Amino acid sequence: MSKIKALVVDDSKIMRSQVKRALDQLMIAEFEYEEAMDGEDALSKFNDDIDILFVDWNMPKMTGVEFARAIRDKGYADIPIIMVTAEKSMGKVDKALNEGGANEYITKPFTADKMAKAISSYFDDNGNIATGNGDEGEKKSFFSSILNS
Amino acid sequence: MITEELKKADHIPAEICDIVRDSVINTFASICGDTPQYEDVSEEEKGPLNGIIGNIAVFNPDLTFTLMIAIPKETAFKISEAFIGMKLPFASDDMGDLIGEIANILAGDVAANIEKVGFRGQSSLPTATRGSDLTLFMPNKPPTEKMKFSSSCGDFLLNMAMSQSR
Repeated sequence: MSKIKALVVDDSKIMRSQVKRALDQLMIAEFEYEEAMDGEDALSKFNDDIDILFVDWNMPKMTGVEFARAIRDKGYADIPIIMVTAEKSMGKVDKALNEGGANEYITKPFTADKMAKAISSYFDDNGNIATGNGDEGEKKSFFSSILNS
Repeated sequence: MITEELKKADHIPAEICDIVRDSVINTFASICGDTPQYEDVSEEEKGPLNGIIGNIAVFNPDLTFTLMIAIPKETAFKISEAFIGMKLPFASDDMGDLIGEIANILAGDVAANIEKVGFRGQSSLPTATRGSDLTLFMPNKPPTEKMKFSSSCGDFLLNMAMSQSR
């Protein structure tokens, strides 16, 4: 099992710790973490070694959706972007999906189970990022099914 | 309900108060594990606040709802144990971070629910203030509402103000 490099972006240190703790509890992969305090910080720390992004919305300097859009605009169409945010309105979810290009949306506070439900499809049985998850249409329909459940 | 009606109101409409009350209950139920009870605020509790105050606003260009969650010291300890599994030092930056984040989660719920009655707003970034004898002081004396809740994590208060955005 190779390590999955996750970039956790949140202006709250407590919430970054919560995301890391939930991921470690899942045991679906072995993670190593990079952390960023806002979108600008995340952009400066993003590189080709990052496998998956966990991104808050409401942050100073650059929001999570702006950061997600910037990553997509750089040509990273397949990297999973998981929004982890307190924003709950359907308009915000829609914006994250369609403007930001996020793949999943987890609302705070969250449990490890909630995290598992959102991200398990992005990993194969060996704890690697699953291939074939790059189909945006497929992701959106999975995303919508969660929203409507 | 539309923003124009709210701008003319000399008190926070009961519909908005109910939404905020329910959001507080939902937010703290998901953190503490039980459903907080809404209680009457005593005369003594109408006075200055003590503990840590999580401050945040839900606003649009016309109106701002300011939310201040006042968490007493003992309640803050229990919330930290419930939320992150350990007792944070009361005077630590992490405790301020935690209470600010809880204010952020509450504001997200409030914003989503008041949107359903026609107020489309967004959340500010949260801040946290620690101290005693803290008094809410806002220019032009906007309408305010104070609520008290009890939960397995202890009692806490919410102060809400509705003012015109500047």
